[in-house]
Amino acid sequence: MDPIRRSLLGQLARLSAGAALIPLSSVASAGINDQPPRREGDPDKRYGMLIDLRQCIGCQACTVSCHIENDAPLGNFRTVVSQFEVEEQHSGDVATFMLPRLCNHCENPPCVPVCPVQATYQRQDGIVVVDSDRCVGCAYCVNACPYDARFINEKTQTADKCTFCAHRLEAGLLPACVESCVGGARIIGDMRDPASEISRLIDKHRDELMVLQPEKNTLPQVFYLGMDERFTTRPQAEAGIWDVLGMEGKEVGYEFGH
Amino acid sequence: MSLVTEVVVPRYGIAWYPWAVQYFFLIALSYSTLWLAAPGLVLGKPAWMTTARIALLACVSTTLVAPVALLADLHQPLRFWHFYAHPTPWSWMSLGSFLLPLYLGAVVLLAWLAWRPALKARSRQDDGVFSRVAGWIAWGDWQAPRAVLALVGAGALALSLGIMVYTGFEVAIVKGRPLWNTHWLPPMFVATGVIGACGLVLVLNRISTLRSADTNRQMLAVLVGACVVTGFIALTWFLDGINAVSGSVAAALDSVSQSAAWRGTAMEGGIAGVLLAVLAFVMRRSAARRKAMGWVLGLLALHVAWMFRWVVLMNVQTVARNSAGFHDYHVAFGSYGLLGIIGIFGLWLTAVLLIDLFVPWREASSDPLAGPLAEPDASLSASIEGAPRHG
Repeated sequence: MDPIRRSLLGQLARLSAGAALIPLSSVASAGINDQPPRREGDPDKRYGMLIDLRQCIGCQACTVSCHIENDAPLGNFRTVVSQFEVEEQHSGDVATFMLPRLCNHCENPPCVPVCPVQATYQRQDGIVVVDSDRCVGCAYCVNACPYDARFINEKTQTADKCTFCAHRLEAGLLPACVESCVGGARIIGDMRDPASEISRLIDKHRDELMVLQPEKNTLPQVFYLGMDERFTTRPQAEAGIWDVLGMEGKEVGYEFGH
Repeated sequence: MSLVTEVVVPRYGIAWYPWAVQYFFLIALSYSTLWLAAPGLVLGKPAWMTTARIALLACVSTTLVAPVALLADLHQPLRFWHFYAHPTPWSWMSLGSFLLPLYLGAVVLLAWLAWRPALKARSRQDDGVFSRVAGWIAWGDWQAPRAVLALVGAGALALSLGIMVYTGFEVAIVKGRPLWNTHWLPPMFVATGVIGACGLVLVLNRISTLRSADTNRQMLAVLVGACVVTGFIALTWFLDGINAVSGSVAAALDSVSQSAAWRGTAMEGGIAGVLLAVLAFVMRRSAARRKAMGWVLGLLALHVAWMFRWVVLMNVQTVARNSAGFHDYHVAFGSYGLLGIIGIFGLWLTAVLLIDLFVPWREASSDPLAGPLAEPDASLSASIEGAPRHG
């Protein structure tokens, strides 16, 4: 990616990290593909997450604990840590970049207005959830989400996604990924409470925070600290993972191809 | 400069299966053939009557089968009633779920009104079970005035506009897939739909043994027009892109530059499209060539219309959004893949054969009061056995 575009994206990322803190719920209107009114959840709260990439060691403890907590099928992830090897071409120095991914619980979530049966909706506390009893499994939301945060759960045959572990938040617990993070890289909290840790961290690092794919105007509410602008959009990277097929052509695992 | 290599990234499957291609293909054939039937059937232009009869058969059969493919693409097909229990006016798909049954009803009603005179005539013949069935389908001994047929036709045409708009925008509003996110996609769906519809009518004209010269001439004329419009839309989309208006073109160029499979697809699509346009233009000029090769061109037109949808709906889903490269996608053998594709075509063939068996669609009339033989047609009368009995 050329440097001009990269720095523009970086500015965009910073800009929307700030703008996203302004509640957009008042913008909801009745036009086609506009955000419907939010329902359920505590209207006095707005959950968000800050991920301090400087603390992430890529151990995938969040991936595993989320998988166990939420019983996702093998191969599907509500959260996962993408890992990249970055080689400085002049010096040959190699570093690893970790990028935990999960639903961004966007202020302007593209997955919500597309749902034809209102099975997926945004709660008043900002959490985007799916009513799996109502979901028809049309997968429209899966295609609509630019972050690949959604998948069709083969067990329930309905759309599945990160809920910020709403069931745990309601019981006064932290989400599984936050609870298990060894570096304390994931901070969740109510951004409307000025005394919350996430509010203080956002205040402190406002100019450094970035979000993923800011140009999509989804206003993500998962903020990254210590982010490299090149990773806010689809990375210009070599695909390094190859399927390993057994003698009968069945997949037996993955292999790192470089 | 630095070199970035992915070490751990998840793999994402596709969310819409080939069922979606089948739905978008059949529904496009459906609304396009309805418009091809309109001059003869709704406006009552005699020169277009044979085309209208073939197009009506194509329209009814595709309209009946398309929703089956759509239903099959749901992971919870038995929950389809949720669409009606929870109307969602801000979702294109929900709007479509209300438009589609209305459209289907209007098309079936239109066909029924057009076929009734012929069905009544057949029910009076001594043709055993076929006469009995024709009598049941005709349902009563009344005659609808021509105005009713024209009105129902106008209603179906109006609803078909809704189908064109909703199927196009349903896909085009998805910002998450930059290749879809262009205003040129809905008109492109319609233009390639008309190409496919001309192809289908040309093929049916041949295999139904009607072999109407008028139909060949008319369909090739429309086909040439649709090819020109399609080319114009593609060019405008591309010019938009190189002037940086559309991220859709940038994404397409990225894909083509990075993937040999995409280069192959772009090449195949380009060649098929240009070949179709050139052949259509050349064949249009000679009646003999039209007669000999019209159906071959028809198959090519169907191929172009289907492949466009396959590339747009399936291949675009393999473009990774958050990782490098492309997702592997192989068409499975089961109902999510090959069996589904073939099954839907089989279902369509079944629908055509059943209609052909029980409905004298070759005698469809634009005027329910005029009776089946009110419009003598040299190419038709030879194929209608027993017709003189009603003189």
